[in-house]
Amino acid sequence: MKNNVTTTVIGSYPVNIDNYDLMNHYFGQKEILWSKYIESAVNDMVNAGIQLVSDGQTRDPFVNIFYRKLGGCRIRERPEVIDKIQYNEPIIIEDQKYVKQIIPENRQLIGLLAGPHTLSQSCVDLFYNDEKELAFDFAEALRKEAESLQKHVDMISIDEPFFSVSMPDYAKELIETVTSGIKKCPVRVHICGDISEIIPEILELPVDILSHEFKATPKLFDAFKDHSFSQRICLGSVRSDKPVVEPVDDIIKHIRRGIDVFGDKISQLAPDCGLRLLPKGIAFQKLKNLVEAGEKIYDR
Amino acid sequence: MFSFTKEQKVFDISGIKIGGQPGTYPTVLIGGLFFKGEPDFDKAKSQLKKMYDLSRRIGNPSMPDFFVRKEEFIEDIVDFIEKSTPKNQPFSVDIIDPNLKIKILEALHEKKLLSRTVYNSIHVGTTDEERKTLKKFTPEAAIIVAFNPKDKSPDGKIEVLANGANLLDKGLLDITKEIGIKKVLVDTAAMAPGDNSGASISAIPVIKEEYGLPTGCAIHNVVEKSNWLDDFKDARKPVDAASNINIPLFGGDFAIFGPMHNSDLAFPMIAWEDILVSEYTESYFGVEPCDFHPRRKLF
Repeated sequence: MKNNVTTTVIGSYPVNIDNYDLMNHYFGQKEILWSKYIESAVNDMVNAGIQLVSDGQTRDPFVNIFYRKLGGCRIRERPEVIDKIQYNEPIIIEDQKYVKQIIPENRQLIGLLAGPHTLSQSCVDLFYNDEKELAFDFAEALRKEAESLQKHVDMISIDEPFFSVSMPDYAKELIETVTSGIKKCPVRVHICGDISEIIPEILELPVDILSHEFKATPKLFDAFKDHSFSQRICLGSVRSDKPVVEPVDDIIKHIRRGIDVFGDKISQLAPDCGLRLLPKGIAFQKLKNLVEAGEKIYDR
Repeated sequence: MFSFTKEQKVFDISGIKIGGQPGTYPTVLIGGLFFKGEPDFDKAKSQLKKMYDLSRRIGNPSMPDFFVRKEEFIEDIVDFIEKSTPKNQPFSVDIIDPNLKIKILEALHEKKLLSRTVYNSIHVGTTDEERKTLKKFTPEAAIIVAFNPKDKSPDGKIEVLANGANLLDKGLLDITKEIGIKKVLVDTAAMAPGDNSGASISAIPVIKEEYGLPTGCAIHNVVEKSNWLDDFKDARKPVDAASNINIPLFGGDFAIFGPMHNSDLAFPMIAWEDILVSEYTESYFGVEPCDFHPRRKLF
């Protein structure tokens, strides 16, 4: 598209997992390969015309992907922190390498990190009893992951949905900790929910792109009008919580409203949030319509 | 040796007691028949006789585990179960294909054998159709295989039991409860050597402490899959049988010890470990062995 506006995703994508097949691998004592599920999600994004794709976060709900590999965490009935958070091994790097192999050359890849605040708020802390210390230890572990990740992706997104629930005083320092080692690619922060009351704090975050759910929360357009800022905008343009496909004209209208507010600050068009909970066919059609709407506006 | 703080359930499955604190009841030994497919009923009869004789002599309860590989075998195997196993003894049916599982439930219902049936097994691959059939034709007990494709550690096994690890709408325990099966045995899902195989043993006390349910596994599968043991051919069978002693040592309640013809090695080995466990738990915790415990037969 012209004007450097890219169609992209926030992260997760629906996948139909064949549990019986997984069980057969157990009975046959064979290695389970997740690549077919990653491929299924990535192919849908590519076929829908999305330019900046993700790995689809098919393995787990996005926070669990990180709890599963970070030292000090365990997942039983729920994620728990039972010891000091440690970065023991790469978390999402191998999946990014795989995606790079299967996407066409004209597509790019966004690497997705669950934010440190969101990680600290989505688990049961049985060790720290200090949510700030816990959040900073998550941030330090994510810094290490981000340093490696930047070599394999074209952009990094930090997903911090919990900022819209509770924005801590130390939010800026937390994100700074994660991004301090990222030199090779731009960084986006995604915060869904109603952020109208915390826009000044969000504008302080050391990132290149701000991503929000403008479709589900259109009052954000008015809320941003009062602020000047240097970051670019990822415009949430289709809903991720409703299994109804928005018509192209409806999306065009929404994007035009975004252009009225943000002008050429808009650099990305995306769904409001991850699409994991939608039926696969509907998620695909939403992306397709998003791409078509973007092309109609920006390629004209 | 140890004792669990969580109250331990003891189930009576068609006359067999299973579960409890270490040292109370001896390990229930589950021996497989027809693993290779086509049933040889003459051999099976003699193997059953040998296993039941050992069970009577030594004290460890036993149970045959019938593999059913093809639909054409169902009728004959169910007939064999009806005619050739003691009327007051439980048995398990061990089937992978969900369609066969549905068909055997119907056949067991027709022969009025469900009250002696241990269904092997419920797991993440259990289909909706299978769940519906299980509600209609409900067996006396079920083995849940706590295999979590995302995490083979003891924590991962708890996760799949508790919430289905985001692969199922609910945890395996709730699914089993919803079906209406009250007597649940947890199989800790032994993996191949090098693939966190030890977790099936370390998960035993973790799961018993969490849920208080009878727990065990088929740890001999790890030995069966070992290429390393190809260099020690004479040792394979004793190592296979000996691997089972880990189960009572870690507080477990049942051992799926492999082909029934291995009974002659498996029974005395596991009984010996049960005796050691009983001696320790009685002297330290005051846990008395039950009347039929192998330790009662030794002294």
